[in-house]
Amino acid sequence: MSESTYAVVGTRPPRHDATDKVTGRAHYGADFQLTGMLHGFILRSPHAHAAIRRIDVSKAEAFPGVKAVVTSADLPESPEQMVDIGEGAMPLSYIRGNMLARSKVLYKGHAVAAVAAVSPHVAEEAASLIEVDYDVLPCALTVEDAMRDGAPVILPDLRTKEFGEQTGRPGNVAEHFRHVLGDAENGFTEADLVVEREFRTATVHQGYIEPHATTVLWNEDGHVLVWCSSQGAFTVRKATAAVLDLPVLRVSVTPLEIGGGFGGKIRIYLEPVAALLSKKSGRPVKIVMSRQDVFEGTGPTPGSHMRIKMGARKDGRITAAQAYLAYEAGAYPGAMVAPGAMCVFAAYDIPNVVIDGYDVVVNKPSTAAYRAPGATQAAFATESVVDEIAENLGLDPVEFRLMNAAKEGTRRADGPKFRRIGCVEVLEAMRNHPHYRAPLEGPNRGRGVAVGFWFNVGLASSCTISVNSDGTVNLLDGSVDLSGTRTSVSMQAAETLGLRAEDVRPSVGDTDSIGFTEVTGGSRTTYATGWAAVEAARDVIGQMKERAALLWETDAASVEFDRGVFRAGGRSITFQELAAQLDETGGPVVGRGAVNPSGAGGSFSGAIADVEVDPETGKVSVLRFTAVQDAGRAIHPSYVEGQMQGGSVQGIGWALNEEYFMSAEGAMLNSSWLDYRMPTSLDLPMIDTVIVEVPDPEHPFGVRGVGEANIVPPPAAVSNAVYRATGVRLYRLPMNPVAVMEALWQKESEPGGGSLHSDAAA
Amino acid sequence: MLSQFAYRKAGSVQEAIELSSRPGARILAGGSDLLGCLRDGVFSADRIVSISGLKELKGVAATAGGGMRIGALATLAEIAGHPRLRQAYPALAQAAAAAASPQLRNQGTIGGNLCQRPRCWYFRGDFPCARKGGDTCYAIAGENQLHCIFGGEGCYMVHPSDTAPALLALDAKVRIQGRKGARTIPLASFFVLPSVDPRRENALAPGELLTEILLDPPEPGARGLYRKVRERGAFDFALVGAAIVLAISEGTVKKARVALSGVAPVPWRSEEAEAALAGKKLDQQAIAAAAAAAVKDAEPLSGNGYKIPLVRGMVEDALSALAG
Ligand SMILES: Cc1cc2nc3c(=O)[nH]c(=O)nc-3n(C[C@H](O)[C@H](O)[C@H](O)COP(=O)(O)OP(=O)(O)OC[C@H]3O[C@@H](n4cnc5c(N)ncnc54)[C@H](O)[C@@H]3O)c2cc1C
Repeated sequence: MSESTYAVVGTRPPRHDATDKVTGRAHYGADFQLTGMLHGFILRSPHAHAAIRRIDVSKAEAFPGVKAVVTSADLPESPEQMVDIGEGAMPLSYIRGNMLARSKVLYKGHAVAAVAAVSPHVAEEAASLIEVDYDVLPCALTVEDAMRDGAPVILPDLRTKEFGEQTGRPGNVAEHFRHVLGDAENGFTEADLVVEREFRTATVHQGYIEPHATTVLWNEDGHVLVWCSSQGAFTVRKATAAVLDLPVLRVSVTPLEIGGGFGGKIRIYLEPVAALLSKKSGRPVKIVMSRQDVFEGTGPTPGSHMRIKMGARKDGRITAAQAYLAYEAGAYPGAMVAPGAMCVFAAYDIPNVVIDGYDVVVNKPSTAAYRAPGATQAAFATESVVDEIAENLGLDPVEFRLMNAAKEGTRRADGPKFRRIGCVEVLEAMRNHPHYRAPLEGPNRGRGVAVGFWFNVGLASSCTISVNSDGTVNLLDGSVDLSGTRTSVSMQAAETLGLRAEDVRPSVGDTDSIGFTEVTGGSRTTYATGWAAVEAARDVIGQMKERAALLWETDAASVEFDRGVFRAGGRSITFQELAAQLDETGGPVVGRGAVNPSGAGGSFSGAIADVEVDPETGKVSVLRFTAVQDAGRAIHPSYVEGQMQGGSVQGIGWALNEEYFMSAEGAMLNSSWLDYRMPTSLDLPMIDTVIVEVPDPEHPFGVRGVGEANIVPPPAAVSNAVYRATGVRLYRLPMNPVAVMEALWQKESEPGGGSLHSDAAA
Repeated sequence: MLSQFAYRKAGSVQEAIELSSRPGARILAGGSDLLGCLRDGVFSADRIVSISGLKELKGVAATAGGGMRIGALATLAEIAGHPRLRQAYPALAQAAAAAASPQLRNQGTIGGNLCQRPRCWYFRGDFPCARKGGDTCYAIAGENQLHCIFGGEGCYMVHPSDTAPALLALDAKVRIQGRKGARTIPLASFFVLPSVDPRRENALAPGELLTEILLDPPEPGARGLYRKVRERGAFDFALVGAAIVLAISEGTVKKARVALSGVAPVPWRSEEAEAALAGKKLDQQAIAAAAAAAVKDAEPLSGNGYKIPLVRGMVEDALSALAG
């Protein structure tokens, strides 16, 4: 099929769920109600690191209106196993430990006990009566603290894994791995210019507006029913069943609408706790987190400490690169440093590379995925160094990147060789964009660019399509709808069936009604669930050909299908006409598609940022921003643009404002929307978008997932722009007014500084 | 957790005074600050006395003498949009408009804005700090980038209000009513430095109510503005701010008022900056001198030295705007 023949793919029909979303009728996690439902409240640790000597729940249990109280003692014991938790796997003991602390609390906000009562207020008040006797321990809050000799040991059983082997060494480093390509040492000797810089980024949160919310009924028949907001019902089912030591058949999960996840609603926090409360009380239990719970008790993205060294020849070829990436895992191993290492130099064809990654446990909440997890931190570092080299070599920053851009056949240091990718096309689109060519005048202004990569995943998806007698179809898939995936999946089915998008009625199934489907994450839904929908549609077409063959007394193989019409031997019948005759030709037609693609094509993304830095206040204003991304094929261009804009905005917030401020004792000081500063519409320009289409060679429509790569370049692009505006390069995120003022001030105090005069220095 | 309390709605100022005189009682106006404090356990209350129905505390009106009377229950939105205030007292209207967000400005009152509790994250968090009766200020050795550079002693918070410095620069007076009757005091003596008492921000005794704010007629040739530096375009307190009111005639500054926010535990009047302007032409030289004078005696903490160039730059910028 050539591009021009698409009738649905590439158009912009309204979302199937639009009305419910804009009228407020859609049901999110906290909207769910059951008769006789109780409300749960989770008591959380006030300390970042402490041994639990004793928990006394008797006063809470005796409080009027309380129906159940649980602690870790109510969790079952079962042999250790690795449990797949969506993006990665985790030992069951850690998942349980994070659910309700056992012998130790590992971060402020760590769940310790839970109460179910007749109202949320009674539950909260009763929880305050639980007496926990803590032995407060010293804490380690950053990778540098945690890696120091004599640092407090956070997980006593943890032994460092090094280069894939167990070392038996205790400590806070869960893993040290290394990727090597060529000979970096030699590569640096070939370079005319070597730049090495050190970077730090703060812990930041995904910042989804809807807090985690769940309702669980442990039914009298022993079946556990869950209604919750998550990125994947099957992952919730698997993790809940594992924690409760139940067969998966005994747990059913119905996904409700989700008010944002960005990777943070893959892991579970509440379901097993609500289940235990329900089992004890015999009633359904709902738990809704507060914003403070979300900040302190769910997984943010790792803070990091990084060093990047790169060498290049005068002719502009990068000869070698080295990375040291140490990421904060939070309380349990699993900092997203492995994907960070996969992406850190992915945009470049570099012959000699060494990458060292460290997964480091610290006394902060156990970190979780956040949109291209691990890649944004790494790109901030790499793209800053690349910018510095380009400047030193007197090369245009986009041209320099193009000279070294990764292409089909380029090998990454972590092993894989790229198949067809769009890195060059993205860079060319940046170079040719009017924004890049427009003059930027005025003092304190600068333009920065950066590129970023996310590898994307495929994984399992299921879809069924039932044909109605009027020729419309009902589509059921297993992917929680994040930002319009119902529609982008339906459009692929519609295109295949020769229908209009509005002839498909999509719904998201629960774990009892649809085949296994992985989470909505990893930029996989439009890609893999869309592919499953294509397979289901092809299955429908195959079955319908048989029906046509029956009517025409011919064999199915001779029936052709094109754009909604079946033909054989000069006869033809439309999809709709044939659908009206299903009853007479054998009954309903239900198509099924189940896929598990492994070779998803990665997506490259680029950013051009113009900023103005106010030298009096340190405030960085983004004047203009253009995002460029390879979508393979944009099924619904508006949704692709929406992803690009959303990722850019989150990247800008990460660059300029967002940060966990921690007290020395490990308490988060800014756990509210007021003090955790996400940018508002007043802080952002319109984000311009350019969709590049380098089709994925395997996907039926050439789709590449676009959910993540767009967050990767913005912090580096903004930082590079700040440098061009001020002559000062910042090596730490966020670049808030305080940081910028301090950097400008420091430059002032150096000999030959600019005009910011200071006579009242501290 | 919002603990249990009795709720009483006062029918008159006198009743409000009686009901709120006993310890543990708190006055509720718009509730936008009070309820957050109670829910977060910053302090507790066993009785909430709502004054929101008191008509005599509402409204913004001109006085017979050509000044203005602003009821304590006037909302920030009312003040921000009031034509006379915008025209004759722009520093105040701008400060009200720069506070919080549209919803909060519709709900929050000017009385509540002046009486709101500090936003210091140690005060608002689970820290038994000096302002809560403890014996230390956690900001001294902690995360103090948002804390004060003037007037800290025992407590280094910054006063959160945007309207307070504007009213200070306008030489506003406040009327206070209590069991012993009513008194009118300059706003300057309303706020309390931590060196006097770190546990309260103002001069109100239990049972006392702030009932109204009084503004003199603007001086001839008066001009003014409020500048607010914040990290985010909305929904953000001031990193630092400046309310400036000047009376200029024949090209020279007859009277200058410079009041800063975000720099001290009270809205901070910079008499040094004012002195550098008085009797001068508002030229580059005077502006630079005033801006430098504004920060001359600053005493930054470990993490907030940036506020010195920030305040200087902001004052310079604000004065240049008034000169232009
Ligand atoms: C998210 C957020 C952002 C904000 N941002 C800003 C900002 O940028 N700038 C700014 O200036 N403010 C800001 N505020 C503060 C806001 O302006 C105040 O909360 C509001 O003005 C308080 O008015 P209220 O009527 O709601 O007071 P309430 O909450 O009812 O009362 C506040 C306090 O004052 C006392 N009180 C109220 N009225 C009287 C009275 N007449 N006499 C005696 N005591 C009284 C109460 O007992 C209470 O202690 C913000 C608040 C929030 C929640």
